[in-house]
Amino acid sequence: MNRYKFTEVKVGLVEGFTISINQGMMSSFADITGDVNPLHLDSTYANNKGYKGKVCYGMLTSSFYSTLVGVYLPGEFCILQGIEINFSSPVYIGDVLRVEGVVDYINEAYKVIELKASITNQSGKKISKAKIKVGFL
Amino acid sequence: MNKDNILEAMQQIFRDVFDDEGLVIDNETSAEDIEDWDSLAQINLVISMEKEFKVKFSLLELANLHNVGDMADLIGQKLQQ
Repeated sequence: MNRYKFTEVKVGLVEGFTISINQGMMSSFADITGDVNPLHLDSTYANNKGYKGKVCYGMLTSSFYSTLVGVYLPGEFCILQGIEINFSSPVYIGDVLRVEGVVDYINEAYKVIELKASITNQSGKKISKAKIKVGFL
Repeated sequence: MNKDNILEAMQQIFRDVFDDEGLVIDNETSAEDIEDWDSLAQINLVISMEKEFKVKFSLLELANLHNVGDMADLIGQKLQQ
């Protein structure tokens, strides 16, 4: 886990990680949230709707933005204050995602930073982007 | 940029932050007048204003503000520097 302090963070600082999507994650997410929409659980249904397989929950992939700030940038001293997310492409089981964020803005008065973050798949296609506001403990 | 121009730009920031296109602010508007104006909203307001007017505020400067008019005056001073 990273432990960036506010004074150590500069505009342009980049951190990220890679993660694979598996069925266990999908099942756990369904259990936790109760989102049993067939697009996420039924391959045949998803195929009939024009997708090549069960579509990963957008909020499951977005949960990795929590990991990004809580573990990598800034890491331990993070307090997530806000996040805006836009989705652009579907994610499937087996996809390998690169989650990355860059410090885009620093507010000295309140010790808050803003990250521009994105998630791309193994083909380099952007599947979502986010603007994340983070405070420090 | 005169104070009216600053207040006009600030009004749009307030509308965006509080997601209320009908919100109207004036010199006397303070946190007591807007129910959702909590500490997180304050941070969002300050960051939005820093970006809009391309200025930076110190914590001391912010602590001395009592209403929207004070903020507009502070922005005006910084724009003249």
